[in-house]
Amino acid sequence: MDNTKGKIGIREFLAIILITIGTKVTDNTPTSLFDKVGSAAWITVILMGLFSFIPIYLLTKLIIAYEDQNLIDIIFRLLGKYIGFFVIFLLWTTETYSIVINSATYADIIETMYFVKTPLFFTYIVLIGVAAYGAKKGLEFIGSAAWVSLIGLNIALFVVLILSILQGRFNYVYPILGNGIPEIMKESAMNASILGEFLYLGFIVTSLRSTNVYKKGIWIGFIYVTTVYMLALISYIMLFDYVSIVNLNYPFHETIRFIQLGFLTNVESLFLPFWLVASFLRFSFYLYISALLFGALFKIKQFNYLVPSIAILIVFLGLIPEAPVFTLINLRENFAYLTTPIFLFLPLILWITAKLKGELKK
Amino acid sequence: MVDTIYHSLSLTHSNLQFLYITLYFGGTIRKNMELYIFLEKMRVKRFFKKLLKEEHPPFEKAATEDDLLKKKQIDSSLADTMELFKKIYYVPNNSDVNIRYIEIGGIKKNAAVITISSISNTKLIEELVIRPLLINEDESKEIELLLSPQVRKADVIEDILVEINNGNTTLFVDGEPYAYIISSGNFQGRSVEKAENEVVVKGPKESFNEQAMTNISLIRKRIRDEKLIVESTTISKRAKNELYLVYIKDIANEELITNIKNKLNSLDIDSIQNLSVLEEYLEDHIYSLFPTILYTERPDRASEFIEDGFIVLLMDNSPDSLILPATFWSFFHNSEDHYLRFLFGNFIRILRLMALFITLFISAIYIAITNYHVEMIPADLLLAISSTREIVPFPSLVEILMLEIAFELIREGGLRVPKPIGPTIGIVGALILGQAAVQANLVSPLVVIIVALGGLSSFAIGDTNLNYTVRLLRFPFLISAGVFGLFGLTALFTICLLYVTSIKSFGVPYLAPMTPNDSTAKDTIFRRLVKNELFRPGYLKPKDIEKKAGE
Amino acid sequence: MKTRLGLFHFLFLIFILPMLSGCWDQVSIDKRAYVVALGLDKGEDNKISITYLIANPEFSKQEGPSSEPAHEVITFPANDIISAKNTANAVIAKEITYNMLNVLIVSEDLAKDPEFIRYMYDVTKDREIKRNIPMIVTKEKVKTFLLKNKPKLETRIHKYFEFVLENSNKAGLTPNFKLHSYFSITESDAGLFLAPYATTEQIPGGKYTVGEDELLAGELKIEGEESNNSQFLGSAVFKEGKMIGTMNGEETRLTIVLNETLEMGEIYATYPDPFSPQYRFSARIMKREKNDVKINLNGYTPTIDVTVPLYMDILSIHSMETFDNGKIEQLKFHIEEEVQKKLSKLIKRTQEEFKGEAFGWSLIARKKFWTSHDFEKFDWMKTYPNMKVNVSVNVYIGTFGEQSKLPDLNQVRD
Repeated sequence: MDNTKGKIGIREFLAIILITIGTKVTDNTPTSLFDKVGSAAWITVILMGLFSFIPIYLLTKLIIAYEDQNLIDIIFRLLGKYIGFFVIFLLWTTETYSIVINSATYADIIETMYFVKTPLFFTYIVLIGVAAYGAKKGLEFIGSAAWVSLIGLNIALFVVLILSILQGRFNYVYPILGNGIPEIMKESAMNASILGEFLYLGFIVTSLRSTNVYKKGIWIGFIYVTTVYMLALISYIMLFDYVSIVNLNYPFHETIRFIQLGFLTNVESLFLPFWLVASFLRFSFYLYISALLFGALFKIKQFNYLVPSIAILIVFLGLIPEAPVFTLINLRENFAYLTTPIFLFLPLILWITAKLKGELKK
Repeated sequence: MVDTIYHSLSLTHSNLQFLYITLYFGGTIRKNMELYIFLEKMRVKRFFKKLLKEEHPPFEKAATEDDLLKKKQIDSSLADTMELFKKIYYVPNNSDVNIRYIEIGGIKKNAAVITISSISNTKLIEELVIRPLLINEDESKEIELLLSPQVRKADVIEDILVEINNGNTTLFVDGEPYAYIISSGNFQGRSVEKAENEVVVKGPKESFNEQAMTNISLIRKRIRDEKLIVESTTISKRAKNELYLVYIKDIANEELITNIKNKLNSLDIDSIQNLSVLEEYLEDHIYSLFPTILYTERPDRASEFIEDGFIVLLMDNSPDSLILPATFWSFFHNSEDHYLRFLFGNFIRILRLMALFITLFISAIYIAITNYHVEMIPADLLLAISSTREIVPFPSLVEILMLEIAFELIREGGLRVPKPIGPTIGIVGALILGQAAVQANLVSPLVVIIVALGGLSSFAIGDTNLNYTVRLLRFPFLISAGVFGLFGLTALFTICLLYVTSIKSFGVPYLAPMTPNDSTAKDTIFRRLVKNELFRPGYLKPKDIEKKAGE
Repeated sequence: MKTRLGLFHFLFLIFILPMLSGCWDQVSIDKRAYVVALGLDKGEDNKISITYLIANPEFSKQEGPSSEPAHEVITFPANDIISAKNTANAVIAKEITYNMLNVLIVSEDLAKDPEFIRYMYDVTKDREIKRNIPMIVTKEKVKTFLLKNKPKLETRIHKYFEFVLENSNKAGLTPNFKLHSYFSITESDAGLFLAPYATTEQIPGGKYTVGEDELLAGELKIEGEESNNSQFLGSAVFKEGKMIGTMNGEETRLTIVLNETLEMGEIYATYPDPFSPQYRFSARIMKREKNDVKINLNGYTPTIDVTVPLYMDILSIHSMETFDNGKIEQLKFHIEEEVQKKLSKLIKRTQEEFKGEAFGWSLIARKKFWTSHDFEKFDWMKTYPNMKVNVSVNVYIGTFGEQSKLPDLNQVRD
């Protein structure tokens, strides 16, 4: 009776995009931006969006051209067996590495902001354990769970944003250009990979009901995520001022600790569950993608059996950094700089190859 | 002394943790192990099974002589036939089996009538079967014409036995190698009464009773459609239980019907007494906490589902019906949602949703907040809780578990209690357990409020199955909150969410039409205006998607 | 085969075992001691002296009055406020927590110490301390303040601090800055931070003033029950994280009028009556529009032009005057002049004495800069004392109390 055949529709796809990429505003990704460009961090996001527009556009073009093939197939087809393998391998490594950094960051957030005495190991195990359960279940169910929780998560996020904008001071947004135009340009170009996860969405194209779903989902998601990201950065600045915000590790969590909701003066624990659900689903999706890529590399059909092994690998890698607060933010920055070229140029290379091969005209 | 008690209690606390963790990790790790050590596991399993296996004497198979006999056709000699039937029914030991010998007037033939008096209408037999035969004077008339009711013929012993067991009258005539069968079955049962478990304030009050025919009639009363099919199959081998599949031919999906029929045909059981038992045979996820077949006693609800393309199962001896496939929403909804005015209907939907969340989470949230996230509580409440908890000797998790279990006990006890004593139990439960426990410093007053609120909310979830699901799920949530605060609670919630989305009931995703999305049916958390609910649920792939007639 | 399975089980058990000892962060709600007010005093050497005001939950119980006191005050030397939690356990039976911390109290002595800011940054390290709590500066030692402060009616001490600060804020007598602002103002290094100023030490006999608010805490003469003698009046001025002076009630009110980031409630104030100077009339002042601040940074001397719109209800007039249009204009002009004079005096004081502004103008001035680099180079704090600030006041007179007309006193006396 299942007429969906395990394929996900626009709602689920959109929910995945919003949750996996949207959750980034709540970790320490904004911190490095504030650090470098000060009060103009939100402009950086707009520019980042503009920079990312081209690769995402090219990618969408490619995916529409090759109707029922996902990005892995396209890469193999266009770049050949060996280069294709290398590129996929590179993508898998960066993807897995980003899970390690991100999950370690999230575990650290839980550790420093909420569960101070609990050993990191256990927080981490639970975080990745739940994510692995989701990844093992499959994309379809991650999508469904994401859609079911999306409304609640968005309401929570907007309550936070509205409250912090109301309780903040608008003048903190000035000086409008922060640390200056050159810095803004540099950072937005180098950090474009913050939106780089849109690349990974190309891998699940064959699990979507149609390429039209992909096209619509990507653009709606892209606009929504960029807008929310921008709003969030503005609200952080309005609450904390650009001088103080640099000192905060996790602006989102400081925000929910600071804002007041009527008679409730401490609402952080009210928003914690929403944030956690989003984080679990986010890592579920990442783990799924990681297993998918690994499966594609070594021709493993039932790649969801790989999930537990990858999850264990991630836990042990993620536990390595000492003094995670500082180590991770450095690692993340370097990582962002490293992956940006991949995100910016891979779609371009693929598109050019396709054009040269004359396969786009069909 | 207090120390030791406390120590032992904290030990139980850890044990609970252990249980939780085993449950929690069981899922992911077991599947991983499956891959590597599946065979080893089976070997060990077999080894342990062998180890503990008891030596039993072989069971004897029931005599097959009777079975062979039953396949035969009856003899034309009346005396022989009667001899045979007397033997089968153990007459005269079997007291309600009546054999009556008569001589048919006019044609002057000996005949015998067999009935089981307790399940047949004796007056009808007397007036419509025996009397016409006795008073006949016409020599040329055939026997079938003598009898006023419709008459069937049967010649295989087995078939005749089935007819007699159904309360029908069998007429054997000397010299004829077949029996005449006249319908006269009259089983005793309740009449149509008010629905007791699914009570509504506004709307029809009838409920199904134990007679399938009455139930079918109740449905047919609501759907006067020639395409309404009542298909019957026998699902058990010995008791010959009859099952009725009710659906609308040009709406219900063919594939779904075949799927269910295959499942029914593959059953190989002696007896299935009623639908509640059958439910377990049909379900895909037997061990799952979430029900996948809807069980209702309301004919209006059943017909509503039939008209949407669902399939309804009816059976004798079951004052209810099974509806399949079922989604989460069919358990969540209530027929009154649509009977009440639009806004009121949605109001009770909101209430029910709140009740669902309160039942599931309130005690878990209490544990999480008072043990891990104290800063969330407003200062006055914090001090108030702190002061009342100070004199309670148990950790709050033990305290709340104790009260939760007590509440469940009262509930279960109250359910089984004979009616006259019922109110007393209520008073005892409320008074002794609430007031006295607080006064004895066993629990703090706030915990009583929390548990009582959670318990009362659970009554707002009308469906029996979902009710149990929610009540049972409370406990894992409680323990996870005790172990890891809101983090544990949310982790378990996410797992549940992922699990629920992956359940399928006869191929239909559990949360459809919410996700995977189906734009045809929009009745999920809130109901739409009836005039806007234009389509049948698309996830059933009905043959006719639109609810409007014709053009 | 069997050994391999055993190994798996063994690994699984190892994995589970530490969890059994779990619930690391779990502390039962009734096993914590809730610090409501945290006091910091100067200690010996580099140490500080910490004072805890711990609420007694027993007091919140419904059934029967408890013989226990509502709260407990302890003072001890410590290195910082975080390790102090442990030290306190030498005396306090339960685990100390700052979850319910309502107010941070600092003695003037410590606040004026250049080292003070180091201790303040401890606050940002402990997750239990929220940054939206107020900070109070006391004239005497915090220890004395907390011991002497025994409000008769608000025995539930956390309520007391909440209410007393809320209402003195509303009356404009103390500023409404939170701890969070201490950090952000200090870090942006462009303005002054104000904290409520309080004391339990009254100047004998009090201080006489013409108006009602030109007082600092301790200068108001209050007679009555002995125990309730703490006053919250005026503000302590912090520059670069260090206290540099005080402002009295009137100055605090004017600061609130000028500063857009501070919420202004309804202020009741009195002004000399223009018609018979021996009396004062009282007015309810509200702000319904925002100040108009024009900043010009282009010239050699940067200028700031501020227009303050005030909405006033005239409440009591002892000259028993009944107003007509001409008189209202006269009154308006008089008030505008009066307020403007006071504002200019305050601004002058901040420029000359404090060398910094507490009016949030630096935030408005930010708009004039493109990059934060330019802004920092401009150095608002340094430039401010030399700026030319012009203040003007626009008064809009609303109602004249419930009964707007008064009888002619001469006729009454006739």
